[in-house]
Amino acid sequence: MSNNRLIRPLFAALLVALLQTVFLGYMIESRASILRNGSEVVLKSVPVDPRDLLRGDYVILSYDVSSIPSSKVSGGFPADPVTAQLSVRLEKQPDGFWAVSEAAFDPLPPKQGSVVMLSAPFNFYPSTDPPAFLNVDYGIERYYVPEGQGKPLEEARDSHTLSVTVRVDDRGTAQIREIAIEGNPLYQEPLY
Amino acid sequence: MYRGRIEKDFRHWVSMGMLDARAADAMLAEYDARPSVFSAGRVLLILAAVLLGSAILLLVAANWEAIPRLARIVGIVALIWTFYLSAALCFARGFSAIGAALLVLATMCFGGAIALVGQMYHLSGDAADALLAWFAAACLVAFLFRSAAVTVLCGLLAWALFGQLIFDNDAYFGGNGSLYFIPALVVIVIALVRYTQAGVARHLAYLLALAWLGWLQLEISGGWLAFALFALGLVAFLLASLTASPLHRLARETGAAPAFYSFALAVMGLAVLHGEVNGLAQEIAIGATTLAVALGGIVLAGRVNGAVRFLGYAVFSVETLYLASETLGSILGTSGFFLISGLVVGLIAWLVIRLEKRLSAKPALKEA
Repeated sequence: MSNNRLIRPLFAALLVALLQTVFLGYMIESRASILRNGSEVVLKSVPVDPRDLLRGDYVILSYDVSSIPSSKVSGGFPADPVTAQLSVRLEKQPDGFWAVSEAAFDPLPPKQGSVVMLSAPFNFYPSTDPPAFLNVDYGIERYYVPEGQGKPLEEARDSHTLSVTVRVDDRGTAQIREIAIEGNPLYQEPLY
Repeated sequence: MYRGRIEKDFRHWVSMGMLDARAADAMLAEYDARPSVFSAGRVLLILAAVLLGSAILLLVAANWEAIPRLARIVGIVALIWTFYLSAALCFARGFSAIGAALLVLATMCFGGAIALVGQMYHLSGDAADALLAWFAAACLVAFLFRSAAVTVLCGLLAWALFGQLIFDNDAYFGGNGSLYFIPALVVIVIALVRYTQAGVARHLAYLLALAWLGWLQLEISGGWLAFALFALGLVAFLLASLTASPLHRLARETGAAPAFYSFALAVMGLAVLHGEVNGLAQEIAIGATTLAVALGGIVLAGRVNGAVRFLGYAVFSVETLYLASETLGSILGTSGFFLISGLVVGLIAWLVIRLEKRLSAKPALKEA
């Protein structure tokens, strides 16, 4: 009986601690693997500086590639309201930054010299005229910084070019690798 | 609360010679020894755990560079293991209060760990998913340890998830329908409440159900839904309060909550319907129905359910004021409406008093 009183809670404790650790490990490794193996892409960006409750101060990064002209969307628009993910093909430009060459509501095939990034799900409502631009997120719009350190990035935004290097895996998920001002690295992300 | 009132009544009965003083003391001692009874020490322990947990959550949010990133993640996972294992040891040794506090602390740490990983890899726009994972983990802990304290945490996390989804607010039929799964959270929390006997968390679940139905009304809008909410609330209230109902015993076991929240739902439906009606006939119908529902609640459940009684009084007063200020057609017409209502209610009161006298006379006869 006294044995059972120890075993049951101990078993429960081991089980929940293990499950929670595995979950955290999965979260970490799914991101680290993108940094390790993903294709590298450099994007142009502008930051601002808010905070969230549990993860602290962060810088909002918005990208040139977040706004996609409708003329670059191939394969047409959906006829009904849907929750869609846009496949966006990026190609390197002469200035070193990557830009949108093509986008589609269906998956795009891989092509030499290009990288396909998948947008976060968004709600698309069809209208008689297609919109001039589609604004999408890629899940790399936030960069968490130590408390109070968002300012330098904010100040850099006004006078300098901010570049963000991301790595993209085969499924199109992007992960921030480095943030640089005028080509000088400011933050470099370790794997773990 | 109940403890204070019953002690007062016991003293009264003892002074009247109806109850032996020793029996009264023994009954109070039995009540105080129940595990569900309020204990200042236990509550303070849990609150201490909440404060410590918050300290850890904010330490994560501060993103403090003095602790290297890898040390942070290893540290927080170590805390999770330490707290769960210590909780298990406390339960085995019989220190259940400390065990419950440690479980709360450990489960809060897991939320902090999710936030930490999100911060490390700059994940954006995933707050609802993170809360869902946290909620699921808390539910598993509450179930495995049969912990009332963690069940309360589950109730709060369900609310947080609801709030986050409302904040993201891109739900519509056929699209991102995460908000339509909130009733599942309510069912899970209520099941946990019954299993772990966490009385307080029940209100979190019922209030969440009410809030969700309120959101549904705003989202879809339309008189038919308001009417459906009213009808659903009324039927549930009758099922919970009428002695003839098959669910009556089950509802009474869980206290005043089922009757009160179903009554509140009916009132909510009626409140929305007030905005939907037009034309004198409909206005009179809705006004009369509201007054009838308020009085019906007081008559049917008022005696055993103080919460329903006071909500009934409140609805009755507000509706009377509303009708008086809105006026049904003309001031004279409203006056006529109140005249007829007054006569009808007076007649019912007379009938109810006679009925109550007859009912209370019966047991007396049996004893004699």
